[in-house]
Amino acid sequence: MTARSRRSNSLDAALTVVLPVMLGIFIIALWQGGGLQALFHTDSYVLPAPTRIFSIYQDNSAAVWKNIWKTTSVAMLGLLLGSILGYAVALLATNFPGFGGGGLAVIGAFASVPLVALAPVMNNLTRDVSRVAETRSFVAKMLVVMLIAAADMGLNAYRGLTEVPPYSEDLMMTYAASKRTVFFKLRLPNSVPFIFTALKISVPASIMTAIVSEYFAEYAGGVGRQIRENILMAQYATAWVYIVAACGIGVVSYAVLMIVRGIIHKKLHM
Amino acid sequence: MKKSIFDKKWVSVLVWILFLVIAWEIGAFIVAATKRTPENILPHLSGIIAAAFSTKPAAGKLTPSGVVFTSAGATLIRAGLGYVLGAVVGYFMALLMKLSGIVEKLIFPYLMLIQLIPVIGLAPIILAMTGSINQSRVIIAAILSFYPVATNVLEGMKAVQKEKYELMYTYAAPKWMIFTKVLIPSSKPALFTGLKIAAPMAITASILVDTLQGDGGLGCMLSQSLKHAMNIYVFWLIVFFCAIIGILSTYVIGWIELAVSPSKRAMNRSKKPHQPKRRKIRIQNYMENGGMENDSQIQKV
Amino acid sequence: MKKREKKAAAVVLTAAMAMTMLAGCGGGSSSSSAASETEVQTTASAAETTAAAEGESEASGSVGSDVKVGVPTEEAQKVLKAAAEAGQIGNWGNGNQYELLALLNKYKLPTDYVTMDFTMDAFDSDSITLASAMVYNELGLVMNDYDGGYGYGDSVKTIDMNDEGVGMLEDNIFCTKKFAEENPQTVEAFLYASLKGWEYAAQHPEEAAKIVYEAGSSVSQGHQQYMAGQVAKLVQTDMNGDTVKQVGNMDEKAMQQTLDLAKQYLNLDDASAQDKLKNTTLDDIRDTKYMEEAVASDGKSFKPEKTDVSIQLKWLPQSQFMGYYVAEAKGYYKEVGLNVNIVSGGGDVAETTAVNNGTVDFGVTWVSNLIAANAGGMDLLEVAQIFQRSGLELVYKPENFK
Repeated sequence: MTARSRRSNSLDAALTVVLPVMLGIFIIALWQGGGLQALFHTDSYVLPAPTRIFSIYQDNSAAVWKNIWKTTSVAMLGLLLGSILGYAVALLATNFPGFGGGGLAVIGAFASVPLVALAPVMNNLTRDVSRVAETRSFVAKMLVVMLIAAADMGLNAYRGLTEVPPYSEDLMMTYAASKRTVFFKLRLPNSVPFIFTALKISVPASIMTAIVSEYFAEYAGGVGRQIRENILMAQYATAWVYIVAACGIGVVSYAVLMIVRGIIHKKLHM
Repeated sequence: MKKSIFDKKWVSVLVWILFLVIAWEIGAFIVAATKRTPENILPHLSGIIAAAFSTKPAAGKLTPSGVVFTSAGATLIRAGLGYVLGAVVGYFMALLMKLSGIVEKLIFPYLMLIQLIPVIGLAPIILAMTGSINQSRVIIAAILSFYPVATNVLEGMKAVQKEKYELMYTYAAPKWMIFTKVLIPSSKPALFTGLKIAAPMAITASILVDTLQGDGGLGCMLSQSLKHAMNIYVFWLIVFFCAIIGILSTYVIGWIELAVSPSKRAMNRSKKPHQPKRRKIRIQNYMENGGMENDSQIQKV
Repeated sequence: MKKREKKAAAVVLTAAMAMTMLAGCGGGSSSSSAASETEVQTTASAAETTAAAEGESEASGSVGSDVKVGVPTEEAQKVLKAAAEAGQIGNWGNGNQYELLALLNKYKLPTDYVTMDFTMDAFDSDSITLASAMVYNELGLVMNDYDGGYGYGDSVKTIDMNDEGVGMLEDNIFCTKKFAEENPQTVEAFLYASLKGWEYAAQHPEEAAKIVYEAGSSVSQGHQQYMAGQVAKLVQTDMNGDTVKQVGNMDEKAMQQTLDLAKQYLNLDDASAQDKLKNTTLDDIRDTKYMEEAVASDGKSFKPEKTDVSIQLKWLPQSQFMGYYVAEAKGYYKEVGLNVNIVSGGGDVAETTAVNNGTVDFGVTWVSNLIAANAGGMDLLEVAQIFQRSGLELVYKPENFK
């Protein structure tokens, strides 16, 4: 690599960071100064200034974090269980291709079912889980997240387990490798990138699902519930605190996912 | 390889559906035996089917199916408008980002950020901004549709083989011609990948926002019937209807893709009659997807 | 190849057989449901006749005696205590909980409650034993057995917020202060015609329900009729159970009670809004001037500054808003020179926001919502109070408290 291209590369990298940050600062300045409100034909009531949002957050930070935790715990546990379930279905489909293929088509269909329809049904189905409303409601919300995450993981993991590089399967055959070895040496590593593809979809989707199910939930609490409650009471500034919190959960979990993916990719030499 | 009846995909799908139906019915029998109002928890499928053909008015002068179709019309029109708007904006955004690296660097992270904002947080704010329920829902459907389209098209345009450009240079083709002859045609498959992801999302978003804002639409009737303001079977009908249109939406885009891309149609035709060996298809799939993680599928929120 | 086809045929055949079997079971259950349907219809028609009878009795003027009265205070206290200790009191939250909190506080009970979803299923399955219910909506669903009803009949009992002295006022008519100042004649004309509509509707609830039903209803007919009957009572009876002299009147005492309870139980995270809430007085939220002038006028001499106006409802078309639909259908708005667009809404439309940003001119909201909105920085003004007593009740099954 020549010195010149190295310099242009580092310039490029710097621009990748600097440009969006500058735009961000510009937007926030515009927002604070009232320009954004004018642009959207609205007022500082519906779109309060960032400083005001921040000051409300400071006054209520304990409550905000409690709600963030409520939403995140539902989303993450649901995501975990759903991903395991989805991967299990994909494994099943790999071992029994014909039959499992149909199952995946059905699971894929689940992915397009609007989750708003699932949430209230789940409330009723979990009525007998516990006498404690908080537990019951947690399970109901988590099950909805689980279904959504399972669908994404199932479809992607199946592709990862079956779409192995051409001729590598033949190579394995020439080694007289057992089905077990083929699985551990070939299919499993091959499915790892696909797991991350699935997670890239299902991490934001689980958070969104958790937030929406809070609307229908029995036990009040969580970021979604707070957004709605505050908007109903026309407390837009407080609602914005929770909207920002919801974005924050999304961004942070996405960033964590990317970092984990980076580490695992390095380990697997990909 | 032993040939199994399950190799026919529709047979195995049918078996699965049958399995689900049986599981549902077993559940329904249990619920019917143990609960006071089983139709609120898990009714028999026969009851839902009967409600679909019932002529007894459920709300206003509409029969249960009437309620579903009237409100579905409102929802689907809003979703469709938003979808088209989002797709067009997304496509041009991708073009713009392809044209200028600076623009890409500047806005790409924000596109992602918008996608991570939960739509329900946006819904009331956008409503307050537009002041019109209809407009706000169209805009929300557009916001959710445009990101998958934009990112997929951008990926598609970036993945164009170098040789194609080189060929155009040897023709001394002007820049606009590179766009019309190379970039736009070769981004078509990516465009449809994006469109397929966006379709159920636009519909889901539209239904979700109905639920929150009332004033007609599937989601609104969903919550209204859930509240028992009318026959509870209307609720179950809407749940099934939502599932069906969600699934159909992806297929419809697939059909449109086949209709507008002769090459894909030809490929499919050659595939169908004489089922090539499994291995071959797999290799073909592998080639199409570049073997690695398909980055063009990131965006489903 | 042939063998495979045979196999496929066999699978399809078994599938078809299984389907018919299922359909068979289904057929059985559907016939039974058909039987129960006819039963429902007969009871529904019975309910209609009673509603009609009630309508007549109201027309003849004996309204006060018709009001549903909750259980006596001692019994209420016992039930509340048991339910509170078991953690099985339900409410929707979202601004509907203040009366419940006040009631629990009154008896010095813990103020925790379980959030209810949109349905009464939790009450039905006893996971909530003391559930909140609006007398014109959920309570009807619990008691009646028309489409969507749970059919408990008179076997359930209620605790009435008005009886307990913690009632808060609900549906009103409001606009922005600016709009009222700039268009006083429009406001008065609108009030005159709307109140005329409400008076007619309250006296003829059955006809009013039909008018709403024609206007595009999202509610089953049986429920619409029930709702009209109950709303008529809320419009014509005050918190003490006495007949109201003037529909739309803003009773000083009831308004003050609502404001006091709101100040005590509304908890806003926004510190500046909370400050403003604590300093709110009745004069900040309502003005009786327009209403008085509308009532005093003969209804012919209005000169509206703005003739095309709209009103944002709190939810979809239902008898809860029958007065406006009646005024429209009977041409009362036309008589005063107004062209009114009734905008149905619901959920997060937040009628206060819609009115505040000028999307619509008038709105229907609960007084507590208006108080919160003004505390948050809006400038809204109540110009009439339609519901004269609280519609909130707590419903329970007596067998759960033996």
